[in-house]
Amino acid sequence: MRRVFILLVVAGFGVIFAGLVAGYGERQTLSALATFYLTEVPADLGAANVVTGILISFRGFDTLGEVAVLFMVAASVGVILASEPGDKPLLLPAIGGKGQGPSELVRNGAEVVLPLIFLFGTYVIMNGHLSAGGGFQGGAVVASGVMLMMLAYPTGPLHHGFLSITEALAGVFYVSIGILGMVLGGGFLDSHILPRGDFGTLISAGAIPLISILLGIKVGAELSVIIDRFRS
Amino acid sequence: MGVPISQILLTTGFLLVLIGFWGILKHRNILRIIIGFSLIDTGMHIVLVATGYITGGTAPIIDEALGIKEAATRTVDPIPSALVVTAIVIGFSVTAIMLSFAIRLHATRKTLSIDALTESRW
Amino acid sequence: MVDSLFQPLNIFLLGLGGGFLIPLLYKIAKPLPAVGFIIALLGMTVISSVCLWSVHHGGSTIEVLTAGSVPPFSINLRFGPWEGFFSVCVNVVAVLGAWHLWGRLRASYPALLLYLILTMGINGMVMTRDLFNQFVFLEIVSIGTYGLLGFERTPAALAASFKYIMATVLASSFFLLGAGLLYHVTGTLNIDDMITNRALITGPIGVTALLFVLSCLVLELKPFPANGWGLDVYETANSGIAALVSVGVSAGVFFALFKLLPLFEDHLGVLALSGGITFLFSNLVGLRQTSVQRMLGYSSIAQMGLLTLALALLHQLDAEQALPLVVGGLFINHLFAKAGLFWLAGIVERREVDGWSDVAGNPVLLSILAVFVVAIAGLPPFPGFWAKWELVMQAAAGERYIWIAVILVGSLLEAAYMFRWFKHATRPLPGETQISPTPGRLVPVLVCAVLLFASGYAAASLAGAASLLLVAPLVVGAGLYMLDWLPGRAKCVLMLAAVLVVGLWIVRDIDGLRQLFAVLLLAGGLVIAFASLYRSDPRGGFYPMMAILLLSIASLLRAATSLEFFFHWELITLSSYFLIAQRRDAHPYVLQFLLFSLVSAFCLLAGFGIAASANGTTALAAFATAGPDAAPAFMLLAIGFLIKAGAVGVHVWLPGAYAEADDDLSAMLSAVISKVAVFGLFMVTYLAIRSQVGLEMAHVMGWIGLLTTIAGAVMALQQSDIKRMLGYSSMSQIGYIITAIALMSHLGWVTAFYLVANHLMVKGILFLAAAGVILATGTRLLDQTGGLAGKMPLTFAAVVIALISMSGLPPLAGFGGKWLLLSAMTDRGWYGLAIVGVLATFIGFLYMFRLAYSIFLGPRKPAYEEVREAPWPLLVPQFVLILSIFVLSFFPKLLMDPVSAAIDPYFASTLVWQGMSLETIYGYWNPVPVMAFSVAAAAVLLALFLLIYRAGWGRSIPVSTSHFYGFYRLVFAPLVTPVANFVWDGVCSLTIGLAGLVRRIYTGNGQTYALQVLCYVIVLYLLGTLRLTAG
Repeated sequence: MRRVFILLVVAGFGVIFAGLVAGYGERQTLSALATFYLTEVPADLGAANVVTGILISFRGFDTLGEVAVLFMVAASVGVILASEPGDKPLLLPAIGGKGQGPSELVRNGAEVVLPLIFLFGTYVIMNGHLSAGGGFQGGAVVASGVMLMMLAYPTGPLHHGFLSITEALAGVFYVSIGILGMVLGGGFLDSHILPRGDFGTLISAGAIPLISILLGIKVGAELSVIIDRFRS
Repeated sequence: MGVPISQILLTTGFLLVLIGFWGILKHRNILRIIIGFSLIDTGMHIVLVATGYITGGTAPIIDEALGIKEAATRTVDPIPSALVVTAIVIGFSVTAIMLSFAIRLHATRKTLSIDALTESRW
Repeated sequence: MVDSLFQPLNIFLLGLGGGFLIPLLYKIAKPLPAVGFIIALLGMTVISSVCLWSVHHGGSTIEVLTAGSVPPFSINLRFGPWEGFFSVCVNVVAVLGAWHLWGRLRASYPALLLYLILTMGINGMVMTRDLFNQFVFLEIVSIGTYGLLGFERTPAALAASFKYIMATVLASSFFLLGAGLLYHVTGTLNIDDMITNRALITGPIGVTALLFVLSCLVLELKPFPANGWGLDVYETANSGIAALVSVGVSAGVFFALFKLLPLFEDHLGVLALSGGITFLFSNLVGLRQTSVQRMLGYSSIAQMGLLTLALALLHQLDAEQALPLVVGGLFINHLFAKAGLFWLAGIVERREVDGWSDVAGNPVLLSILAVFVVAIAGLPPFPGFWAKWELVMQAAAGERYIWIAVILVGSLLEAAYMFRWFKHATRPLPGETQISPTPGRLVPVLVCAVLLFASGYAAASLAGAASLLLVAPLVVGAGLYMLDWLPGRAKCVLMLAAVLVVGLWIVRDIDGLRQLFAVLLLAGGLVIAFASLYRSDPRGGFYPMMAILLLSIASLLRAATSLEFFFHWELITLSSYFLIAQRRDAHPYVLQFLLFSLVSAFCLLAGFGIAASANGTTALAAFATAGPDAAPAFMLLAIGFLIKAGAVGVHVWLPGAYAEADDDLSAMLSAVISKVAVFGLFMVTYLAIRSQVGLEMAHVMGWIGLLTTIAGAVMALQQSDIKRMLGYSSMSQIGYIITAIALMSHLGWVTAFYLVANHLMVKGILFLAAAGVILATGTRLLDQTGGLAGKMPLTFAAVVIALISMSGLPPLAGFGGKWLLLSAMTDRGWYGLAIVGVLATFIGFLYMFRLAYSIFLGPRKPAYEEVREAPWPLLVPQFVLILSIFVLSFFPKLLMDPVSAAIDPYFASTLVWQGMSLETIYGYWNPVPVMAFSVAAAAVLLALFLLIYRAGWGRSIPVSTSHFYGFYRLVFAPLVTPVANFVWDGVCSLTIGLAGLVRRIYTGNGQTYALQVLCYVIVLYLLGTLRLTAG
């Protein structure tokens, strides 16, 4: 009975979605909004990567919001998984049980790959305004490196307090740069507070790279914190 | 020419969503349900990106291959891409929260079956 | 500088910046996060309040731009009057909620930051003008909620949170998909642009996208039946978090719906349907609930449904000008009352409704609970009352009668379970444990209660009704409530003085029939209230309520519009409810009393709505000139007043309430309060004359009146309890009055008023005398008393005089009334009614004689040798009333002339009763022959009854009074089978059975809930697309 209902519902959505696909017509030209972004982001903001430009300036408010979401998740996960006095540790057998440390392969691999991962992450973050990438993407790369580090060194050197302070500081700076935009520029999160520089160079595009870096640090730290919380 | 790419992407995305629906409705295990939600999210993201696609368009990044002048004519729509970045992060957040609840639930009742979660009803 | 400080954008800076800073502050010093949190939250509240103030006074909406660009390129926020209102409301509740939750929040800094960012997120949902940003804020709010829910550690709460997450994540996925697709068809994400380019949203993609967005918003409001996940969270979460979800999160989602509504103009019908079903069924299922928080959850969901319904309905009817009052009023009412109730539940910490009897010993908690329950039920003076009134008026003007029915039935169900809860709280149980929270804990609920009163006044001004006259009863009541620490008798004297002074001020410049009623009811009310001096106990809360009651009657009489009338009508209902509920033994009956009163009130509300749309105005004066359209209004209004008058069939509330109220209060109820319904009948019956149907209905009303008389008399005969007998007698006497009004003639109305005056005096005396007897003997049973005439001569004399006047024996006033009634009926050609009237009068004799005989005559019981006369405060009012009876009897023209003059404007020009002047009618009233005839007729009937009695039963048994009555009570027994009780009990159990059936859908299984959510989307999709193709 229940299975029939489920089938019906899934089939119902199948029909709705099929209608969408069948009725879908690709846009022949870009919307006015997209055209505006494609011309203005390089010309006015000086960022080569239009997506990053949109994310960090025009839709900066969204980005700030999603940073807040990540921040809240890091806090929530900590709360939910926090063991109260008297509780047994939640995940004892799950990861890194006694006597069964990480394998040779992981540890050695980590030693080789980790620097590369972090380097790549930093690159992606720094070049967010120029090429594919940006704070989020780079931050995710960094966090994946952190995860590998946790796997390789379960008792490792990762300092939880350091991460959360980094995370919070990056957030505070992010908001401060936004406020600077109000004071010096045209409004909250205006990226014109720094000179535009030469188009296509590392230091250009106003405050976008700076925000991107803060974003990268924050996302990297937040994701690491979340992963760390799951470990402990 | 065949089927346009965006149609293929849309179909793929929606199929993932449907599989996700099936997963959350059919499977009793909370972890599988969470996987179902991830599938739904991923499907939705694919659909969103697909709606920005324009045949023959390239990535909206100005470099040697794409001059500033042609940017407005030769690229795909950058906006859906920008939105999807945000959506991915949010999807990740939700998954993390659900997983942590799953761990908590498992710790309190030693089972991952959703059928056990019926204390409050009516 | 100051300007830039008080910018709406700073709400977000404080929220985010504060949130990000909290972990840092924690590292610096442990108490700092709490300080930062308080500063940020208060800052947000102050900023939004200042901005709202400037928007309200400066008039221009504040637009917030970001990224140094303009919309639609960058995200913008808007802070107009609506945004400001919602934002301030949410922030204020967030501050109070933080106070309530402080113990928990202070303990962990993640809770602080989650709470802060969540509050900011709700502000964002309210202010943002970008569709995708809307999604981001929705997620901020959702994640904040999930995080705060994660603080609970009980398995049930964790399970509920998981189900909640599943459902809301599904819902928000649809928002994401919808927003993306809407961008695809419109090329913008800016909400204003989208509304401008609404025409672009067509075709399969556009419509589906729109419906997905709509589905998400509706689902987040927890529509029936896809809302089990929400209920589980309401039940299991911490009360503070549940309050936040119920009022804060829902407010954000509702506002998103509100601002996106122009996009959904094709789907208003679907929206109204969803809201209406949710309102009705959530309240239905709420009836079965015993868990307090889950019950509040049902009520929350229902209120959101009502808001949705109101929003859609007003847009459909193009009545946007009513939005501030209706939507604003309903919202703020729900906000403060529901948040307050959840917090109260957290303070009291009794999960089950039964456990709330522990509150009974705490008057402060009880008063606060009463305020919230009354507000949720949509009763005055709270904003919900004004909003519902306006909503019904608009719906009536737009002829959406089905929605009126849905709104009223749903409200009734909600009131039923809310007041049942309150009943439990007022019922002290032996072995109770006292609940005495510290004053600090009570601050949030107290503030909520105060804000409810304030917003009630604001809503009244918005409705154009606020004036000192309107609130005078409440102000006096509040003043007396402040003095509630005084000794009982001092409070009584103060109350009498206040009612006298303010009452005279209220009725100072009214005329006509109203003036007569005002004089009668105010004087009668004061005289009877004087009797309360016989009790010396403090009676906490009794005298303020009595003042409200009496002054509301005065205000009702001077009401110029149906709104004012209805306002005071509800105040009378409420104050009499609280007065009756004061006596412990009345508990089984108060709920019944209240529910019937509310049914009556809702009939009136619907009737006034229809009348207002037919008359084109709410002025009561328009009733005199109404057109034939008003016939259905007349029917509803008449039903409403008849219920309150205790007409046969709907009288079941009456005996319990009259019998179990305090003894002096019973006198007030029967003598004075019942006349308010009679006044109402006077006021609206005139509608009937405008159409043939109306006149037929008036005829039906005449029959109802006499049937009530007979039924009341027969049942009075059956009673063995003095007060019950008097209660039924009251019902019986009101029946005559109803008939007299239904006559729709000059003579009929004069008679009716004459009977009103007579009944007021008579029943006042009888109930007060009964109070004296009960005080002296300690029993209410007729059979246990006897022979008290010698011990209580004054009371005996008063009772005899009252009985003579009531029974219609000459020469006292009752005789004149009966005589006038019979004349008027024959005059109108209602011979059948006249014959029934005579029969009813005779049955009346029987029970009245029994009353006098069994208490005062017959053998005295040894236990009552030491009985003494009733105390003077009881005797004085009785003798004042006796004096009035004599005046009325021997100088009838003193009353008749002004009454006739007052009624002239109604009938003099429209109905001439065969050219006879009043003088001529009086001419017939020659006491001597009539007295002879009446006595003869009575003697013949008595002989007949004795004969039947001898022949049928008592052949061998010596004739004795008690046997005589035993026999006749047996004979009449089949007539008084409590059919009405069976019917109403049946209705009750049917409703509750239905509720039990409906709630089976809440299986508690998360997957079932997810399935329901997805089904809901499909149904909305189908309804939405079908409606589109059809239209």
